[in-house]
Amino acid sequence: MQSLQCFRIVTFMALSDVRARYKRSVLGPLWLTLGTAGGSAGLGFIWSELLHIEAATFVPTLTAGLILWQFIAGIISESTVLFNRQASIIRNLNLPLAIHPMQLLLRHLINFAHNAPVFFIVAILLGLPMNTNAWLALPGLFLVALNLLWLALLIGLLGARFRDLEYLIATIMPLLMFISPVFYRPNYLPFSEQIMWFNPFSHFIEIVRSPLLGNPPPVFVVETNLLMLACGTLVTLCLFNSKRNRIAFWV
Amino acid sequence: MAVLKFDNVTVQYPVYNSRSMSLRNQLVRISTGGRIEGEAGHIQIVTALNQVSFELHDGDAVGLMGHNGAGKSTLLRTMAGVYHPVSGTVTRHGKVATVLELGAGMDPELSGYENIIRMGVLMGLSIPEIRGKTAEIEEFTQLGDFLQLPVRTYSSGMATRLMFAVATSTQPDILLVDEIFGTGDAEFQVKAKERMESLIKSVGIFVFASHNNALIRQYCNRFFRLEHGQLVEIEPVDIEAK
Repeated sequence: MQSLQCFRIVTFMALSDVRARYKRSVLGPLWLTLGTAGGSAGLGFIWSELLHIEAATFVPTLTAGLILWQFIAGIISESTVLFNRQASIIRNLNLPLAIHPMQLLLRHLINFAHNAPVFFIVAILLGLPMNTNAWLALPGLFLVALNLLWLALLIGLLGARFRDLEYLIATIMPLLMFISPVFYRPNYLPFSEQIMWFNPFSHFIEIVRSPLLGNPPPVFVVETNLLMLACGTLVTLCLFNSKRNRIAFWV
Repeated sequence: MAVLKFDNVTVQYPVYNSRSMSLRNQLVRISTGGRIEGEAGHIQIVTALNQVSFELHDGDAVGLMGHNGAGKSTLLRTMAGVYHPVSGTVTRHGKVATVLELGAGMDPELSGYENIIRMGVLMGLSIPEIRGKTAEIEEFTQLGDFLQLPVRTYSSGMATRLMFAVATSTQPDILLVDEIFGTGDAEFQVKAKERMESLIKSVGIFVFASHNNALIRQYCNRFFRLEHGQLVEIEPVDIEAK
């Protein structure tokens, strides 16, 4: 009964946000799609010329990278104010706190679904050879989503207690973007590739993107994702269980 | 059957100043070996409820009195399960609905109708269920066409009407209402009284915090006074003697 109610609340809150956006403008969240399409077209062609790389392989790489980055960065930046923003619910209704990271994830998954077609259109237009490996992107995305769930809970918890975390995260996200393979493939970097793999977001991007570009994800990327999921979930749940009763006082 | 039982409940909460809410300052504190601790991390612990015990059953309508900061809102939130005690136990059977804070659970950008659905879902109803109650809520609030406007345009009295209507229409076993209820006008108070009386009669516990002794006398049959986190039950004759 309670889990049914939670499911209802999570889907309602995520969908009402999307619905509100559809209502306010004719194109609704498709503005997102258009923005992504414009951004990747512009950046893709200029950069492929600047870097002397063939557009047919570079533009789909960049498009997939940008779409995934929007998804990851959207969740991470918003999770700093996750509980604070829902203070009026937390302080007045006795609901499980886990509904908040879940609705955040679901809302961004819906946005992601609006953006994903851009990649496929770009891939078809530029004749990117796709093969059956592409299906591996789905379990990859599932793993990334679970990883983002614990990250959202953890960052939300810390963000509720430390209000300046919001600004800290906003500062380091662009930095992390440059040391993750959004704009390039890992193998484009002869020297800094090792540094890039220290960024967890690089693993999130690669596990979804490399199947889309025709190759199964490297084994160590899958292993890192699984390891992060296990350790991250464990640590977050321990911290969450010891502090969950304090959150209502913090927000 | 609704039961609400507090057994030696103590609620404490930390009050942070802006410095201790800063991660940067916490890190500086670690790196300087805690020498500037007094300045960087001053956290005060407030004991809002101190060893509170009582038992409420079906048909109890409790009036909660006390000065500002006596712990009324904290007690209501602890009853609702929002705040958790540091010691003691809270036993709660029955569905809880709250009218504690103006605009709680409402999205100011959404219209009145959309907020009815939103709050209904948050309070545990399904969307068809809450749609079925919309007509009744509409009638009770008498907000008419205002229900089509965003809630941010509402006066506090209008928002209170809406919140109270949704909260009571969920048929709670336990209804917790804070002072904001007083922002409704006389006409609303009369309608609200009818609703609450039927609620108390059906089954249920009603707790109402207010500074308005006349209102409390009207609605309640038991009276609690909070002083510095201590709770005493008083007789109706003692209400005026503040």
